[in-house]
Formats: sequence, structure tokens, C-alpha cells
Amino acid sequence: MAEDPKISQRYRELSREEPPRHIDESILAAARRAAETRPAPLVVPTGRRRWYFPLAAAAIIVLAVAVTVHVEREQPDPEAVVSSSPLEQAAPAQAPAEPPRAFTPDPKPAPSQELRAKRDAEAPVELQKAQKAPAAAAVPPEAAPESPSRQDAVSGMRESAPSKAAPRARAETTVGAAANFAAASPEQWLQGIDDLKRQGRHEEAERQLAEFRKRYPNYRIPEAITEKFEKR
Amino acid sequence: MEGPDEELMLAYGRGDAGAFDTLYKRHRGALYRFILRAIKQRAAAEELFQEAWIRVIEARSRYAPQARFTTWLYTIAHNLLVDHWRRKGLALVSLDAEDVPSESANPARQAEGREALARFLQALEGLPAAQREAFLLHEEAGLSVVEIAKVTGAGEEAAKSRLRYAMAKLKAAVDDG
Repeated sequence: MAEDPKISQRYRELSREEPPRHIDESILAAARRAAETRPAPLVVPTGRRRWYFPLAAAAIIVLAVAVTVHVEREQPDPEAVVSSSPLEQAAPAQAPAEPPRAFTPDPKPAPSQELRAKRDAEAPVELQKAQKAPAAAAVPPEAAPESPSRQDAVSGMRESAPSKAAPRARAETTVGAAANFAAASPEQWLQGIDDLKRQGRHEEAERQLAEFRKRYPNYRIPEAITEKFEKR
Repeated sequence: MEGPDEELMLAYGRGDAGAFDTLYKRHRGALYRFILRAIKQRAAAEELFQEAWIRVIEARSRYAPQARFTTWLYTIAHNLLVDHWRRKGLALVSLDAEDVPSESANPARQAEGREALARFLQALEGLPAAQREAFLLHEEAGLSVVEIAKVTGAGEEAAKSRLRYAMAKLKAAVDDG
């Protein structure tokens, strides 16, 4: 663009208009007032509305904490599980010929009422033990051989048990196994089912699997376990 | 407080009222003349001038120096002028058309003894609005063609053309003198 100094010079010769003094003062006063105050929020809270945002924030925090606590505490109640499962209540009638060893907390033949009372009393403790050492509760005898002292104790009790009490004891131990299954975590339960399958106790394994599916319909059972049932 | 316009505006955004005083004193005359000569009505010019500065004040906390402060300031002024012309029923396309005769065509003004200057003023006020605006942005605000294009929202070629036509007409008025 070719500049023409004569045009600029002529333009500068025109009267140099300035804004009136009162406009200057008005604008500068407005600028000072604005500088003294913080930028106003888009929506100015007044009256009761000033509590809306703090209250909403507090409600959100409380809700978040409640949901977190609820999720952390979301565990199956072992007591409710044992008492509400009809399959497990019927378990003694379908007790296998050989008493379970791996999932029997105490195979000692005892009166059923005594056992039940003892089981009820110890159920939470068992759950705690299972949660602390899940492998110990579910490991089958083949995988984790019992110590000689425990084997001796078990065999000694078997031999010394009265013949009439044996079937009842087996039935009760089956109930105890079911209770253990129910009290265990899903992973432990599946491990127990797998162990039953390996021990050749197919019916019991299938029953437990059916019960497991009923209890945890959305749980994805590993294919390694389901395949064993399909092959049979 | 001294410093570039952009720093002064940022300082004002942080609450430094003195920075605004400096900024205002730097630009008040040029911006006022730009508006006044663009619309040729003193009362309306004063109103738009105040409005432009109020918008600067209101935008203090949002201001980010993406371009020269001058470019930003005159963009605000340009938008206010466009709104003003729109309210007056003048379409934007008419900005390039010939303007209505101004008060400066009054023979009484020419009779003041400053005929050459009056002729120049008459030529300036007789320019189409877009050409006059381009010239005033160049002369008062010191904007380049690129900046004029940015302020007015026109293409660079259009801004260049407007400024060239304005210069040619004003040169003719100067040469006549």
C-alpha cells in the first residue's frame, strides 16, 4: 500500500476531537469500581439460593461415601445363605457313600443338634478363616496332603466311631461341606466343585454347580470347570 | 504504570485500576475520533464510545492477549458501529455504497476560510462507510491492512481495496487544494 504523507498530514490538521471530560470521568469511575470488586459470577446467588451450591456439594460427597462403603461391604451373608438354601437342607438325604474330607471342618461323629449348634456358632469364624486363607480351606487332599497327625486323627475317629452314628455323621459332614461352600467366596466354591469332580463325586459336584449358578447367576464360571461337566 | 497495552490490560484484569487509567489515556482520543468520524453524530458517538470501554471493563477477567490490544479494542468498536448502522436500518452491504451527503457539505463550513481542510473533511465524510472505516482504522489506530481485515471481518483483499479507494479519493481532495 503506497502511503501518501500529504493525506496523513491533512488528516492531522483536522480538529483533534477529544471525548468530553464527563465521559472520561464516568468511564474511569466505572473501571475503578469494577477493579475493586471481584468478577461477578454468572448467576449471583441471593437469599436461600446461596445455600444451594454448598448443599448440593455436601449431598454429592455423602452419596459418594455411602456408595463406596456399600460396595465394600457387599458380601454374601453366610448365615442367611445356609438357612435359606433348600438344596443344602436336603443335602443329608443325598450324602455320598464316602464322607468328604477336604471340606469337612470337623469329621468327628457327633449328635446332629450339637454339630448344627457348633456350626452356627463357628460359621462367622470359618468365613473369616476362609477369607484370610482361602487356599487352605479349599485345597483338596491330593493337592495338599494332610499332615500325618491329622490323618491319624481322622482315621482314628473313623475307626472308633459307633456304627449307627456313621451315616448321620456323614450326612452332617455333607451339610457342613455345603455350609462351607456357601460361606466361601465364589472362587473357593468353584475350587471345591472342581475338587469334587476330580474326586469322582460327580453328582455332588453337579449339585453344587447348580447351587452356585443359582446363587451367582451372573458369575462367569471358568471354561476349565464347565468343560468337565459337559464332557460327562 | 507503563508497559505494553496487553500487559496493562492483564494488570487491570488482576485488579490494578491504575493500569486501566494508562490504557484509557493512550487510546481515548483516537477511539473517540474513529467513532465520531465513522457515524458523524456526536451524541451517538459518545454513547458508542462509552459502550466500547464498558465492554473492555466487563471483559477484564476474560482478556487473553491473542492479538494486539488495539486490534481487540477496535474490533469491539467496529461491532458497535455495525450494530448502530443496523439499528438505523442500514444494511451491511451498504457500507461500500456511497453515503448520504454530510453536514460538511454545508457551504457555511466551507466559508470559514479553511477551504482546503473543509474539502478534505468533506471528502472523508463522503467516503462509503467501509472505506472511511478502513481509512480511520489505518490513520487513527495505526492498523495494517491485515489488522483492518481482522477488525472488520473482511477479507484481506477487500480491506486493501477499501483502503486504496479511500486513499485515492482523499488524495484527489488534497490535490485539489
